[in-house]
Amino acid sequence: MSTEQLSIAITGAGGAGVISCGELLLQAWARLGGRGLLRKAYGPQIRGGESAALLKLTERERYTASSNYDVVLALDWANFSRFEEEIRLGSDTWVICEPADDLPDSVVAAGPNILRVPLAELAAASHADGRENMLALGLLGSLLGLPAASLCELSGQKLARKPQSYREAATACIERGANEKLDCQLQVPPLGGKDLWYLSGNQAAGLGALEAGIRFVAAYPITPASDVLEWMAGGLEQLGGHLVQAEDELAAINMTIGAAFGGVPAFTATSGPGLALMTESIGLAVASETPVTVFNVMRGGPSTGIPTKSEQSDLNIALNGLHGDAPHLVLAPLDIADCVFTTGWAVSLAQQLQTAAIVLSDQFIGQSTAVVSEPRRCENIVPAILPALEEGDYLRYKLTTSGISTMASPGDVDRRFTADGLEHNEKGTPSAKQSDHQSQLDKRADKLADFDFGEDWGCTSGSGSVALLCFGSSSAPVAEAAALLTGRGVDARVISLRLLAPLQVVALTDTLAGCEQLIVVEQNHSGQLFHYLKGQMDFQQQVHSYAMAGPVPLNPQSIAQRVLEVTGK
Amino acid sequence: MTMANKKLAEFFAYSVELESEAMERYEELADVMALHHNDQVAQFFVRMAQEVTHHLAKVSDLAKDMELPELKAWEFNWPEAESPETASYEALHYRMSLRQAMILALENERAAESYYRQVANSSDDAQTVRIAGQFADEELSHAAELECMLQELPQNGANLREEDDEPHMPE
Amino acid sequence: MTDVIKLKAKDYKSGIKPIWCPGCGHFSVFNAITKAMAALAISKDDTVMVSGIGCSSRLPAYVDSYGFHGVHGRGLAIAQGLKVARPDLTVLAMGGDGDGFSIGGNHFIHACRRNVNITYIAMDNEVYGMTKGQASPTTAMDWDHSKLTPHGPGVRPFKPAALALASGAPWIARAYSGNPNQMAKLIAEAIEFEGFSFLHVMSQCITFCPEQTDWKAIVHEREEPALVDADEAAKLFLHEDGFQIGLLYSEQRATWPPTAVGAVTEGAVAQLSASFRV
Repeated sequence: MSTEQLSIAITGAGGAGVISCGELLLQAWARLGGRGLLRKAYGPQIRGGESAALLKLTERERYTASSNYDVVLALDWANFSRFEEEIRLGSDTWVICEPADDLPDSVVAAGPNILRVPLAELAAASHADGRENMLALGLLGSLLGLPAASLCELSGQKLARKPQSYREAATACIERGANEKLDCQLQVPPLGGKDLWYLSGNQAAGLGALEAGIRFVAAYPITPASDVLEWMAGGLEQLGGHLVQAEDELAAINMTIGAAFGGVPAFTATSGPGLALMTESIGLAVASETPVTVFNVMRGGPSTGIPTKSEQSDLNIALNGLHGDAPHLVLAPLDIADCVFTTGWAVSLAQQLQTAAIVLSDQFIGQSTAVVSEPRRCENIVPAILPALEEGDYLRYKLTTSGISTMASPGDVDRRFTADGLEHNEKGTPSAKQSDHQSQLDKRADKLADFDFGEDWGCTSGSGSVALLCFGSSSAPVAEAAALLTGRGVDARVISLRLLAPLQVVALTDTLAGCEQLIVVEQNHSGQLFHYLKGQMDFQQQVHSYAMAGPVPLNPQSIAQRVLEVTGK
Repeated sequence: MTMANKKLAEFFAYSVELESEAMERYEELADVMALHHNDQVAQFFVRMAQEVTHHLAKVSDLAKDMELPELKAWEFNWPEAESPETASYEALHYRMSLRQAMILALENERAAESYYRQVANSSDDAQTVRIAGQFADEELSHAAELECMLQELPQNGANLREEDDEPHMPE
Repeated sequence: MTDVIKLKAKDYKSGIKPIWCPGCGHFSVFNAITKAMAALAISKDDTVMVSGIGCSSRLPAYVDSYGFHGVHGRGLAIAQGLKVARPDLTVLAMGGDGDGFSIGGNHFIHACRRNVNITYIAMDNEVYGMTKGQASPTTAMDWDHSKLTPHGPGVRPFKPAALALASGAPWIARAYSGNPNQMAKLIAEAIEFEGFSFLHVMSQCITFCPEQTDWKAIVHEREEPALVDADEAAKLFLHEDGFQIGLLYSEQRATWPPTAVGAVTEGAVAQLSASFRV
């Protein structure tokens, strides 16, 4: 058992409160300066279904999904088979469960250490309203060395709106659980983090957007993006902004465009099916040069797919989903903390370049909560400046060297124009002429191609003749794979792309210089990134694809294994 | 302002509105006909607009030292929905003949004459009666000119408005 | 904001010549809009015309104000987003019967329900003019002039006023392109009305529905004041001939959103990030 990480799974059904248990445990751990990640897994029921809180306590902030669990606390074993793929046990695993429960075959087969604890009985004995999840919290807390008082305080905050006796019951159960001496020793990862934050990727994205100046959001709920919008609703109110719940995604994207046309930085969030609906109007934003940011939290596709699980299969539609030649921005945050930076950067870029930015987050980083150091911010916020009016009519779509023309907004004096999805001339008047179409297409392409995006297009680390390339949330499993490889004496370069369009071909080529093998890693079935890169780049090295669809998170071991196969080591 | 002046001022306000609406309408119709390449009719409407301009200038001159009541477009009490000399947008057809355009203009002149005549006959202000009468006469003479011009024009073919091509679909 | 000197209706025209067919009813609507703007002495710089796609959606470019020519059916969404973000602006949304009641149908009923303070002018010629004459949701069941529906649509047309009422629109009026002055008055009232004002304009299509010149004889003005009772309005809208013009229904309803914009809490951004600190 490594002290680098400790993985705990808590499962239960029927409203057992498993997720709350996991959240409170992680929060208390964070208070002591510990880092960790909380993921959730659950059945299709809205209430009373099977739930699993999947915790990974770690020394470092590289948050991949656990593959093997050190502790599995099962309040019950109802439909545990649902989680079998994700919750793997070994002979070192500690299983804590009710004395009378029959263990699932898969659990028995792993040969774990089994601790029978009469959770229900103990909870009932502690208080009339006693619940097993709070008892489990006390139990686990004590195994981790967390003070019961801290757990009680946190649970009090969480249950603030519940009846008094309910809150007292929680406290009683926590304390009882903490006092229960288990015949089990856990080695916990070291603490020592300072100035830590506790947030989900979706919350982080919302913060990044608001900090970058978003003051209008149009929202249509969709799993797993609704949390972004819900969190922003509260924030916007305090900032004098507005959130409109739209009747559908078509309304959402168009409301966003309307607000942006009004000069108010605007934003919407959705997932694959919603993004598909929005594509026509994202093209309108591109053609009319109206800045919008569309935050897409990817989930299992295609079509309705697997709404509650993560995947990286919307790359194709993000890059190519707009009809016509409609160059635009596509970015992907690399992890939960990076959601703050990348979303802020996307908003800022969209404003500067007067185009649409599609940000590809996913369910894994979106809906997982992590303890992180204070996230990096995007400082690159561009203030709006309207240069002095020149002679003659205001030309909204003036052909400039940078390709960026001044964007007037309603209220600006004597700069009236009509924005249009129709192709237009410099003034904005619809035009079907080749010269206008060519020059405006050039304008919209060049303003992106000629822009200096700086160093943040990606994150690179390591060295070696083999490179691992990925985008967005794959960066953590890829980094872990690289660490595993280093342990095997194989050095791998890791490149995580944050900016996917426009692709920084020159910079990427330079970064790959000297590599002989390249493996493109992604969480989708068809190798979308692989094929995209093959189309854009002139690779000097052999390029291989490691494409694995969801719903199970990418496995660093498998990635490392693939590298070994490819390099023949 | 005296009562008489007020009545005259009101009449002038109506007249200015009538003439300026007529002029602007003819200009608009000229533009749309030109855009649809019915140049004959477009040029005719331009000439009509110019005629009306003269008349408008006259009225404005007569009224220049008076303060006219400012009425919104819908506050004018016209015999029909629009002011009398204003050609209805809906009377147009892109293939209308010059003859048809002239008939339209003739109807406008007659409506204007009829309007001014009615004011001249019913107003109890001498000045208004006099001037309205003058305007009515002028409209009458315009109408007569148009009637003359019409006689010079050939009759329309029965299928004038037919076109072989299908309509286009620009968007 | 521009100095509000007294502008005339023609001063509100951008100078771009409309491409509508000679005989099109939309010229009247354009005329009426400019008259209403002049009468209200509206500031050009603070007014936005928003449209979807179709012949009537070409209108924004012809007005000397800001404009947004959006995609088919989505003008109302753009207009509401704009107005919510910029409540200081005067926002008019406009489009045709296909744009508004077919592809835009969902946005129409929700706009009525939401009651954002904008004006919506639907120019209804009971046909898709721009795409060469297909039946629309307001086309008569037996209109068989479209190749797409050679036996007529065979489906009952919508009654837009009834739809609007059922969806919650507080101000419903109808105008006719043959009477631009009355239309101008209704547009001015619509703009001044606090809430979602729906103006249903019967605006003939000379090219695909030349029979609509008959409307002149059928149209009749409403003599009575506007109804204020929804039940009575429902009866009217379900049973009328669809050609009564004037202000038909008007009630006061709270507009959305209720909170004033710009009420920023001191240090709000810092507070938001602080909420994540352990």
